[in-house]
Amino acid sequence: MSEPILRTERLTKRFGGLVAVDGVDLAFEPGRVHAIIGPNGAGKTTFFNIISGMLPADSGRVFFAGRDITALKPHEISRCGIKRTMQIKSVFPNLSVADNLWITAKAGDGFLHPFRAASRFAEVAAKVDATLEQIGLAAVREQTAGTLSYGDMALLEIAMALVSSPKLLLLDEPICGMSPAETERTVAKIRELARQVEIVIIEHNMEVVFGRADDITVMAQGAVLARGTPREIGADERVREAYLGRPEDDDA
Amino acid sequence: MSRRALERAILVAFGVAMVAVPWLVPALLGSFWVSVIAEILIWSLLAASVNLLFGYVGLLSFGQALYFGFGMYGVGIGIAHLGLSFWPAFGLGIVASVAMALVAGIFAVRLTWHYFAIITVVFSLIFYFLFLTIKPVTGGDDGINFTLPPTFRFGQTEIGLADSTFQYFFILFCVAACFWLMHRVIQSPLGKALMAIRDNDVRASLIGLNIYRLRLVAFVMAGFLAGVSGALFAFFGRYSSASYMFYHVSGEAVVWAIVGGTGTLFGPLVGTGIFILVREVVSTQWQHHLLIVGVIAILIVIFAPKGFVGLWRGLMNRVTS
Repeated sequence: MSEPILRTERLTKRFGGLVAVDGVDLAFEPGRVHAIIGPNGAGKTTFFNIISGMLPADSGRVFFAGRDITALKPHEISRCGIKRTMQIKSVFPNLSVADNLWITAKAGDGFLHPFRAASRFAEVAAKVDATLEQIGLAAVREQTAGTLSYGDMALLEIAMALVSSPKLLLLDEPICGMSPAETERTVAKIRELARQVEIVIIEHNMEVVFGRADDITVMAQGAVLARGTPREIGADERVREAYLGRPEDDDA
Repeated sequence: MSRRALERAILVAFGVAMVAVPWLVPALLGSFWVSVIAEILIWSLLAASVNLLFGYVGLLSFGQALYFGFGMYGVGIGIAHLGLSFWPAFGLGIVASVAMALVAGIFAVRLTWHYFAIITVVFSLIFYFLFLTIKPVTGGDDGINFTLPPTFRFGQTEIGLADSTFQYFFILFCVAACFWLMHRVIQSPLGKALMAIRDNDVRASLIGLNIYRLRLVAFVMAGFLAGVSGALFAFFGRYSSASYMFYHVSGEAVVWAIVGGTGTLFGPLVGTGIFILVREVVSTQWQHHLLIVGVIAILIVIFAPKGFVGLWRGLMNRVTS
């Protein structure tokens, strides 16, 4: 078996008395779309926050393509090639759509030239244009990001993750709060992306998960409850109990 | 006319007017107003320093007077105690303020919002009281007076700030150079990175920006602007005083920047101009001119949070569309 793209060892995070992530051992094989599901408070987002460096782990380690990234800062982890989106959409609201992508594409470069006009970096501009086309935001490129519709903002977030040529994409509920039309558009984009880049996705929407993921990890109360293909997970009694059996309102 | 062309035409007209000041203003208003304009130019750099931090990085500093004071004392101590000539003293003022900004920034930019505002005030207060205490060096509240060394010397001829026209152009040149530098930085990748941090620092770190280091860079740049401002003011007044390091001065610069329009290049210049003109015009007639200042500030903050430049842009949008 090839080296996992992402691997965690006994990863643990406590908030006071609550163990949000409880000794999680996971390995994500390359070339597959991974989904993490689980009821509210299962520790899915906390898990992402530790991987992306936003929260320090209390114990345990994170390896990215074999490299230990546990103690790195968010910008260092980002420069390794791990990009993420947030459950609550997170862009640069006062910059234009194109500038959001521009600075994201340039941020990984290290040196930010202080006296050369940004407009003179042709290769960055080309990357921005290509990504705008690919994601379908070219029409709103000069619009201020804060004024975008919710669906466009979510697409912008995905575009921002994409423009920096990621190796691994962590998507935290990318279609949460979207209209059906926006959902359809975004799911189609994610499907397209899955061919180019490794994806781990946190999702509540069963349709998206069961339709697209190759591997599903079910988390509950900070721990891994089950792993398997969609078919295996769908048939798992424990998962049904912990998650699928509940009324929709409780786990949304 | 396109908006861009119109704005460019206005900028050129403004530039020409500023160059014509030493001839136009004495004829129309009296030579006193030339030095008022020079003073506006100098103080606008202090407001620009607040604006660079607040308008472009999202850090509200109430301590920029500290770096202004270091610029001032670098010049004053350089000339009065160390016997430096003009340019080394100017350099000392700028280096001192940049170095102070680096030291303070290392601690301050770990914090944001009110904690950042508080630590910048604390830093400036510490050095304000320190400079009041070491009177033999700083002259305390009285400050130190000095005689201006010449700026240029060609054989027997000396050119210095004693010539008021030369002084005006020297100040105009330095201030214009600083605004041009700031323009370059804002347009650069660094400028975009700073604005990204201002908008959303969590996202900025997730895209790979080292937000601590970038905030420190901006803080040192702001220290530079304040330092040039202070050094010019020392040359202009021929003295340095600890009273200009008090946080009251920092607060005034914040008001000028906000009323002019933060996050815009010329906002600080507009804000500084308006307030100093109000002070000069009204204070001769009425001692409570600060009331007018306060009313303008409150109205702007409530009704035009982007300041006078924001109002102007709104107007331009309506005219050109």
